[in-house]
Amino acid sequence: MTTLPSRMKAGLAGADGRRRLDVASRCLAGIGGGYALAAVAAMFLALALPLALAMPRAEAVYTATMLSFAIHAGAIVWAFSVRARRVWPGLLVPALLLGGGTWLLHGLQQGAPS
Amino acid sequence: MKDGFRQSMAWLHTWSGLLLGWLLFAVFLTGTVAYFRQEVTAWMQPELHGSVADAGTAERAVERMGRIAPDAAQWTIALPGERTPAVSVSWRPADAKPNDRAALKRATLDAGTGEVLEPRETAGGNFLYRFHFELYGMPRETARWIIGIATMAMLVAIVSGIITHRRIFKDFFTFRPEKSPLRSWMDGHVAAAVLALPFHLMITYSGLLLFMTMLMPWAVDLAYDGNRQTYFAESGFRRAAPAPRPAPQAAPLTPVAPLLAEAERQWADRGGVGTITVTNPGRANATIELRPAAADSIGRGGGGTERLLFDGVTGRTLEVPPTDPQPGAMATGNYLMGLHLARFAGPGMRWLFFVSGVAGTVMVGSGLILWVVKRRSQRSRADNRADGPEPFGHRLADRLNIGVVAGLPLAVAAFFWANRLLPAGLEERAGWEIGVFFLAWAAALLHAPLRPSRRGWAEQLWAGAALFALLPVLNAATAAGHLGNSLPAGNWLLAGFDLTALAAGLLLGFAARKVGRNAFSRKAASAPVLPAGAVAEELT
Amino acid sequence: MILSSLCIAYAGFLALALAMDRHHEQILARRPSARASRLLGWVGWAVLALSLPPAIVAWGWAIGLPAWLGLLTVAAAALALLLPYAPRAALRLGPAAVVCAPLLAFLA
Repeated sequence: MTTLPSRMKAGLAGADGRRRLDVASRCLAGIGGGYALAAVAAMFLALALPLALAMPRAEAVYTATMLSFAIHAGAIVWAFSVRARRVWPGLLVPALLLGGGTWLLHGLQQGAPS
Repeated sequence: MKDGFRQSMAWLHTWSGLLLGWLLFAVFLTGTVAYFRQEVTAWMQPELHGSVADAGTAERAVERMGRIAPDAAQWTIALPGERTPAVSVSWRPADAKPNDRAALKRATLDAGTGEVLEPRETAGGNFLYRFHFELYGMPRETARWIIGIATMAMLVAIVSGIITHRRIFKDFFTFRPEKSPLRSWMDGHVAAAVLALPFHLMITYSGLLLFMTMLMPWAVDLAYDGNRQTYFAESGFRRAAPAPRPAPQAAPLTPVAPLLAEAERQWADRGGVGTITVTNPGRANATIELRPAAADSIGRGGGGTERLLFDGVTGRTLEVPPTDPQPGAMATGNYLMGLHLARFAGPGMRWLFFVSGVAGTVMVGSGLILWVVKRRSQRSRADNRADGPEPFGHRLADRLNIGVVAGLPLAVAAFFWANRLLPAGLEERAGWEIGVFFLAWAAALLHAPLRPSRRGWAEQLWAGAALFALLPVLNAATAAGHLGNSLPAGNWLLAGFDLTALAAGLLLGFAARKVGRNAFSRKAASAPVLPAGAVAEELT
Repeated sequence: MILSSLCIAYAGFLALALAMDRHHEQILARRPSARASRLLGWVGWAVLALSLPPAIVAWGWAIGLPAWLGLLTVAAAALALLLPYAPRAALRLGPAAVVCAPLLAFLA
């Protein structure tokens, strides 16, 4: 039905099924993985901004959530713009790093007397 | 490499735009009309058309409230203005809980006499407004998620569209209606997208922000351990403090005329007084609050924060409790959401938003049509089998396009016709109006696959054109506020609706005539106008 | 003020269109020289920038800026629709808009 971009077809010449798999994988990565990345980034920023910029908690949460939609949209666009083998690692690695950072900051806050 | 990237973006643009495009078209169309939802509602209640405001309107309304609801805990009186002809009043009975909106009682008063009016029950402009973000007949949260997902698809389509179409300024004014359908639809799509690009970005991103806590609750829930009320309180979205309980001792309400005169003097450039809120009327601790008609800020909530507060017994000016200043981030978000809601907008600004909304509607609609037109032209080029059967997917998209792009305007027009033709005293009248809207839309969606494509387009566009263009006639036949009366009286509230309907009818008629001529014919689509390479490069 | 901003914006877009080969040909049936094209481009952007102040004066920054963007949309859409159907009228509207802009500003 549609001519897929040559880059997405690379290495899959003629294999219609694998081409579809590639598209499905990118959709899942962009929509699902991108949402996860945006959510983790929002959580990380919500905890990190008060420490880094002395921002009040509510404002940090608001800023982080506001930015998360741009991150999600950017992740979807990104998932369709790079080579197939870079898509998942490129989304999951930053998500894991931010997740680790969030876990650390959250642990610090829970430990500290407020 | 560079072209591979642009092709990927073009692919993403095509599919993110197409799959949710029909829904987005409906959201854009109904949302655009919703910029005038009060005006639409006013047109849909002819019983209010005789109501004309004068200098004594506010005083009469307060006096009338003293007879309708002497024992209420609070009265809210919204005075007529450029957007509404009559006085809308609501009051909270003494035994109702504060902040319980369902317990509020409502009525409409004639601006000239203060009499209670009994307008017909109508779904009004509010139905189109609600539909554009909550659809209809499904759980509110589900609908909002569907709209939220469509909005994100819209954002992705905008971003990938900008990347695909890098020569934004070069093609700024390019519109070549005389060229092939592919070219002219492409020009139209790009022009509608680029000319109002700031609006499209604002409306899409702020649309996501309006649902932000629902779509992306994770930061709130982590930072506040799931306690969202604390977050709302800290962000300044606090609900107004509940009004004080009525004092046991009775006291007559102070005359409102001097208070109103004072406010009118201060707010001469703000359209005078917009709303009057009387708390604990007839009690010793009564207060009277006045707000200006025109907002002083863009932020959400409309009406701005400026108000005047008076003691309801002595008439002395009281100090207005200061509102907390908003932190930068909230101010930014509220600014964007305020632009989306446009509650602050005066008539000129409102028309600018409306025009931009029309551009958005055209952008989505032309994008949907472009998908089909492009595939037809590709097919006819690829194998010279222009007469062969069209693939199912293309036919489906084309018929959906007919039923939505031509069918939805038709359904909106049918909604307005139902408003005037259904008996005024009908039970569940508002529900019937909505029923007619969906029946008309369903008929359009069913009609589309039964007819040859071009016929389907032409017939539905002509039907929509006739229904819209005849709305002023229907108005003249069923109500007194028709163009013959509204124009000489300078009543732009009613004349504006009729003239806009007429313009919509003419536009649809123009489109119908074009379709009838050539716009969708396969012959025209197959005419070689561009080298194949150029099309592939440009339109993937 | 609002209409004067709209007029200036139209004049600016017209200059920008005249700076482009395709539209110059559409309007005047000949191609502009490279120098004329560059000059028209600069004039166009400068005039567009001039259409901002009236909107800000009328509405302030918070409302004036989005309003100005909306006015740009209307002005450019008018030009884009006039060019294919009535290119001569599109050209004649330019000087008319330039004359009207200060008049409308004084009247307001």
